[in-house]
Amino acid sequence: MRTTVALLLFCVLAATAAAQQQKIFPYDYEQHDFSNGMRLITVPTDFPNVVALYIVVQTGSRNEIEPGKTGFAHFFEHMMFRGTKEFPPDKYNSVLKEAGASFNAFTSDDLTAYHTTFSKPDLETILRMEADRFQNLEYAEGVFKTEALAVLGEYNKNSASPMMKISETLRGLAFTTHTYKHTTMGFLEDIKDMPNQYDYSRKFFDRYYRPEYTTLIVAGDVDKAAAKKLVEKYWGPWKRGSYTAPVPAEPPQKEAQKGHIDWPTPTLPWLVLAFRAPAYSDTTKETATLDLITFLGFSENSPLYRKLVLEEQKVDVLRATYQDHIDPYLLTVMTRVKKQEDMDSVREQILSALAGFKDNLVKEEELDKVKRHIRYSFALAMDNSEAIASTLAHYVALRRTPETMNRVFELYSQITPEDVRAVARKYFLESGRTTVTLTGASK
Amino acid sequence: MKAVLLLIALLVSPTAWANSMRVVAMPGSSPLVTFKIVFLTGAASDPAGKPGTANLTAAMLARGGSVKMPYRDIVDAMFPMATSVDHQVDKEMTTFSAVTHVDNLDSFYELFRAMLLEPGWRAEDLKRLRDVAINAIRVNLRGNNDEELGKEVLYNLIYKGHPYGHLNMGTVSSLEKLALDDLKAFYRSQYTQANLILGIAGGYPPAFLDRVKKDFGSLPAGKPAAAKRPAPAPIQGLQLHMVEKNTRSVAISFGFPMDVRRGHPDFLPLLVMQSWLGQHRASGGRLYDRMREARGLNYGDYAYIEYFPNGMFQFEPDPNLVRPQQIFQVWIRPLEPPTAHFGLRLALFELDRMIRHGLTEEEFQRTRSFLSKQVNLLTRTKPAELGYAIDSLYYVIPDFNSYVKTGLAKLTRETVNQAIQKHLQARNMQIVVIASGCQELSKKLLAGEPSPMSYNSPKPGDILQEDKIVQSWKIDLKPENVRIVPVDQVFE
Repeated sequence: MRTTVALLLFCVLAATAAAQQQKIFPYDYEQHDFSNGMRLITVPTDFPNVVALYIVVQTGSRNEIEPGKTGFAHFFEHMMFRGTKEFPPDKYNSVLKEAGASFNAFTSDDLTAYHTTFSKPDLETILRMEADRFQNLEYAEGVFKTEALAVLGEYNKNSASPMMKISETLRGLAFTTHTYKHTTMGFLEDIKDMPNQYDYSRKFFDRYYRPEYTTLIVAGDVDKAAAKKLVEKYWGPWKRGSYTAPVPAEPPQKEAQKGHIDWPTPTLPWLVLAFRAPAYSDTTKETATLDLITFLGFSENSPLYRKLVLEEQKVDVLRATYQDHIDPYLLTVMTRVKKQEDMDSVREQILSALAGFKDNLVKEEELDKVKRHIRYSFALAMDNSEAIASTLAHYVALRRTPETMNRVFELYSQITPEDVRAVARKYFLESGRTTVTLTGASK
Repeated sequence: MKAVLLLIALLVSPTAWANSMRVVAMPGSSPLVTFKIVFLTGAASDPAGKPGTANLTAAMLARGGSVKMPYRDIVDAMFPMATSVDHQVDKEMTTFSAVTHVDNLDSFYELFRAMLLEPGWRAEDLKRLRDVAINAIRVNLRGNNDEELGKEVLYNLIYKGHPYGHLNMGTVSSLEKLALDDLKAFYRSQYTQANLILGIAGGYPPAFLDRVKKDFGSLPAGKPAAAKRPAPAPIQGLQLHMVEKNTRSVAISFGFPMDVRRGHPDFLPLLVMQSWLGQHRASGGRLYDRMREARGLNYGDYAYIEYFPNGMFQFEPDPNLVRPQQIFQVWIRPLEPPTAHFGLRLALFELDRMIRHGLTEEEFQRTRSFLSKQVNLLTRTKPAELGYAIDSLYYVIPDFNSYVKTGLAKLTRETVNQAIQKHLQARNMQIVVIASGCQELSKKLLAGEPSPMSYNSPKPGDILQEDKIVQSWKIDLKPENVRIVPVDQVFE
């Protein structure tokens, strides 16, 4: 088995031309839909003994549609560890400890994921216990109020870094209507009010913790038929829901937005430039093209990185991100500038690099380097079952199937210099731009 | 499960290394090849008055050019392979890590070899990497990470006057002065075959390892590293070190030196203690349960018997941070300022409680079971498996999984509780607090007035009863043992 996968990966990556014909996700997975709407994706891998379970709920801060409820998806992630009649928190922890499992959860804009990695013989125990909490979660109001304080503690531990404030400010300016306007952590005033929202928390569970929102990923040393049987046994009785969140659509941005943060302690200045960009797609080339532009323009071997970081040494961080999202989001360029007086010139150079994509065709050779980079990055990341499940969880939140990865990597292989120019012309517009700057206090 | 593990090495005490390179090789069929090139040198070998030399030297190799290629060309060549070289410098060990696809093995290795064996020592690289190191201290650590700052200050204080008594990255004033000649001299004296461990895993061809050994055989033979370190000075009473900073909440770490490392008879008993009291970033530890779960004081509270940097960014420890001496440490995540006094009292109360009562049989059994299986997860990636194998060579123990599983199987509750009695105490320790308003908080701590808690929801009777004890728990501080320093002086 190990050799098969190794050879397969080798073949996938052996030659660019051949690679473009091959699927990027090399595992022989099985995808199964249960009658209640839940989906199971089983991925046997050649890594022995260990199994990774990811339970992906397609609910994140994007679903926080009511005012005053920002941060609730993440708070609810905490509440999911508060137990059931059969498995109160102490017992839940004991079972996982006994199994030597590593377990945790995370929330982002579009998903909440619960993940456990454990030894193969514990698969049934863990599937059973996880099914129980997704169907029978129970917690008293007192416990709920105490957990709200742990969320405040999480906000506190994040607050020493300017990143959270930058993210809050950027989203606040770039969005007027859509729930991407707030961070997953939520506004501080809403976090402080969380202890008073017990009834809403039950409503949240009732709406979103339903099989039609949920996909199970079981990756590792696992048998497909056995996994399906166990999941059917414990998750089969779960009742389908009927709620769909009316997430408001964001109208087009009409003019450039700007914001500034005075950070209370000394720090290096940050400059952030963001552009409205389309939602994730595995059928049209636009998002794939913008992904490639983040590398072409801002990766370590890009001309701008060479100039600003390596040669002139005016900045010590330069990166661009364009995170996949269900709804249109942002392509963001971030840089940390060593001297405040260089901020204007650095901003001009970033804008000029982006304008370059509109005016000139990139070289095929540079485009090919990026295509090779992303394929090898993907292969290097697949070095254990948990990493495979975790990568899959990201895509499952968007399209509920591993096939979306194959489709999007196929799109990467098709992008031409003309595509890059066309997408740059469409999206790098001044009217769609949001600029955030942050400067620290002098001593 | 494991690939064949070839330890082509003399299993000798780390204080008496042989004068030849050692190799940890794990050939396999993976399409990925993992490298860990390790030198048994680090910040503890920084020349006197020049802290940061080891770290900056390693950065010049991993993030600078070779004789033939400037750094920008190396980056450009590695980019299509999606590979780069990472470096990690701790007190006793410097590690260069990389993973490449076997497709690119030859072209990657040629770049990697030249970076480590034919460094370019360009002034432009030094200028850039010096800035990186200074900003890592001033901005990333001191400015933006109160929790890590607290932990590193704790280590610095415990090891004051000791080879471990400075930050691995150095100090700002030292970094500003370090010259290329300092780094070259350090490289010449420390990057030797005697200090070298070559680690490699994955689907490389059999002849490849011979080539690597031959190439690294060009390093000077050198002398074995002097791994014997003096004991740190004992701590007298409770010492409180406060860092005044304009920040929202209060970060606390405390601890004391503990002469127990992997291979010591009490290491595994204390590993059980660590996991029971405060398994890193996991629920179910005693501190976590009592501070966060029962009372909502903060985001989490953990205990350590080995150095574990960057804990806020990762769930599992990095390998290759070997130290013959360690400390016991408790990490209290940021507290709301009004509850800081109570939070510190509660952590000290729980430590005292554990020392007095130890673990119950059920707690011991459950924790042991957890650790026996969790070790599989710690080594589930090739870089981790290789890293732990290198560490086991250093500590002169069997492979880490066998060491932990076999050792735990022989433990009893009594051996764990005896080790707790022998090594842990709550009287002599260093406490570090990062906060705004240190003067006011120090007065409260010195006055020892009760610090009652109020909650936003009704609490069970046993918690309220316990609070009555904790709110007046004696923290035996003397005014002469309290220091407050402004944050901009730390590591400057």
